[in-house]
Amino acid sequence: MSHTVLICDDAIFMRTMVGDILQQAGFEIVGEAETGVQAVEKYRQLRPDLVTMDIVMPDMGGIDAVREITKFDPLAKVLMCSAMGQQALVVEAIQAGAKDFVVKPFQPSRVLEAVQRVLG
Amino acid sequence: MDTARYAELFLTESQDNLSAINHALLELERTPNAREPIGALFRAVHTVKGMSATMGYTVVAELSHELETLMDLVRRGEREVTTSLMDTLFQAADALERAIELSVAGREEDCDIAETLAALRGPVATQPAASAATGEPPRGKKKRASKRAAGASATPPSPTVTVAVTLEADAPMKGVRAYLVVERARTIGAVVSTVPALELLDADGFDGTISIGLATDAGDDEIERVVRLAGYVGEVRLTRASIVSNGANAPAANGNGGDPVRSAGQASELAPARAHRHIRIDLHRLDTLMNLIGELVITRGRLQQLSTTINEPALTETVTQASRLVADLQDTIMTSRMVPVWQVFDRFPRVVRDAARALEKQVDFVVDGQEIELDRSLLDEIGDPIVHLLRNAIDHGLETPEERLNAGKSPNGRLSLTAARDRSAVVIRVTDDGRGIDRDRVLSRAVEMGLIETGKHELSDDEVVRLIARPGFSTARQVTDLSGRGVGIDAVHTRVRALGGTVDIRSAKGKGTSITVRLPVTLAIVRALLARVGDETYAIPMTHVNETAQLEQGTIRQVKGRDVLVLRSDVLPVMHLRDVVGLPRRDVEGGQVVVLEVADRRAGMVVDELTGQQEIVIKPFDAVRDGLSLFSGATILGDGVPALILDVSSLL
Repeated sequence: MSHTVLICDDAIFMRTMVGDILQQAGFEIVGEAETGVQAVEKYRQLRPDLVTMDIVMPDMGGIDAVREITKFDPLAKVLMCSAMGQQALVVEAIQAGAKDFVVKPFQPSRVLEAVQRVLG
Repeated sequence: MDTARYAELFLTESQDNLSAINHALLELERTPNAREPIGALFRAVHTVKGMSATMGYTVVAELSHELETLMDLVRRGEREVTTSLMDTLFQAADALERAIELSVAGREEDCDIAETLAALRGPVATQPAASAATGEPPRGKKKRASKRAAGASATPPSPTVTVAVTLEADAPMKGVRAYLVVERARTIGAVVSTVPALELLDADGFDGTISIGLATDAGDDEIERVVRLAGYVGEVRLTRASIVSNGANAPAANGNGGDPVRSAGQASELAPARAHRHIRIDLHRLDTLMNLIGELVITRGRLQQLSTTINEPALTETVTQASRLVADLQDTIMTSRMVPVWQVFDRFPRVVRDAARALEKQVDFVVDGQEIELDRSLLDEIGDPIVHLLRNAIDHGLETPEERLNAGKSPNGRLSLTAARDRSAVVIRVTDDGRGIDRDRVLSRAVEMGLIETGKHELSDDEVVRLIARPGFSTARQVTDLSGRGVGIDAVHTRVRALGGTVDIRSAKGKGTSITVRLPVTLAIVRALLARVGDETYAIPMTHVNETAQLEQGTIRQVKGRDVLVLRSDVLPVMHLRDVVGLPRRDVEGGQVVVLEVADRRAGMVVDELTGQQEIVIKPFDAVRDGLSLFSGATILGDGVPALILDVSSLL
């Protein structure tokens, strides 16, 4: 059975792109979220195997969302999607429970490697 | 690895962490729902655990492990922050402090932590269902890893491995990746140190190689496999330095010459990466340096006198130049001894909290001016007196919440501690908004002690307050009946005076008390005015000299049978140094007068002659303990003659 993924990003463009990369690699996209609040809600509802999480989102940022999700499920597997220059935020996200990160612009092979590491 | 060499370092770092723990606990008590204090607490405890396991201090490691376990439950919301939990945590922090001190002193077997461990484990044990309910042990690997670290504390500590990881050149955000490497390493052991330090990782300039001091039982292959899971890992090199073996340098199999990994592993096992910018110096060395510069200053004085006598321009010029250099050197050494007061103030919030709880008072404690700097030895000395003042304020000054409400005040008493720089002095002030000093009781006590006559009650408030600060006036029990501790203002006063400082007390009944301690910024070397009477020379610290004047006809007059000094429009009490030191008065006219000043009190002192100003090095002596406390120390003057230093605050 293929792994299920929840994609969280406020930009449709990014959601589409990440979705395409993962779909082509055989993952099943079970949901998308545009805000941190949605991300937490959908995680509780869908219990996906993997979450990709943008750092900056309206209505609860990605880091707080990771914190909430990890509180709900300590074993949640969250991959942070960050932009250049967000080092400190990424570290914070890891402290909050994120397992790995990828840096925009995304190269499909790098994204998939990170996903493999997270799913371990 | 010779652990003894690291004991001092361990102690210092542990004290920093203990301070962080206490701060976080106080913060947590104030805001039980905040996450930051829990995180801070967790990190500090974790650091202590890692360090103590490396040092082989099993008691400390066990204690910190249990504390960490409990904090983990709190962090995950499985334990609520209650009063009893806070008590357990505070108790554990105290036990941890004692265990650390005893372990470093080599008296680990004297640690009795059974009770604390039971308290820590108690609440954990009552909730096994909570973690079972979530199905799996939370944070899977991590949990097991810390169990393993705890196991290590009961048995010989895990060996430390230095793991040097070089990231692939094209890894994005290398600093964050390195952070992930450390996170991975944590799953199989305790991270004792990292170079560079974790907090520097998200800064720019990280070159892609991190070396991690890891206390673990895992084998080399396992370690390499685990850190590679972090991704983008290029090269991994392991260097083992066994604690148990006494091998001077346990050479690494792959350690070649100036390998940065090796130097990192050996030299800074416990030291943070910033070590190259700050070095730790034994305080004794700084003291020695201070003594040497003191001798040099004395010698300079002698040299200056000689060159004046010889009067050879080339010599004078050289001596002047040397003097300037000595002055610069003295400045630099003084500065290197200065430390910000927070290093001592840091523990006060905890002291206040404990005292307030014990006495059932509610206290809002404010600290200001933490960055003000003071000579290290002075700062060490002043800690206890300030604790006395704070306790006194809570005990005697602040009222109970009910009393305060009845008096129309807010139930929380306000207690503030401020430090400020004032010219060449540091002013430390403890202020409370409590009931103030009870004038009548002080007076009746003073009459009892024969300090004042009955009926002579027209003393000003200022004079009443001064009675309390009189050496020998034991205030605590007699004045307020509140405490059997017997620590009076006089004890503080004596201590501060020995340091060349002064204490000033202001109090308004019903409104509160403010106690001001003034200290010289540094001990040891002060500028002094030299006064001669007969053949003897005395030194008067310049900090207490307001002005000097020539004695002329009419400068001293008789008012109600007492000598007073008339200076412009001021009339001041006057004394004769000859009387003070037991010499007969002279009949001749003339002489000079020095106006002495302590806080806002002034008085004139008549001397035969003022012979000059000089930097003097204070050599403390013990004679002041009982006898007359006229002198605060002795010094050696430029011409090699010893002179006594007048303790001005005892004269006024």
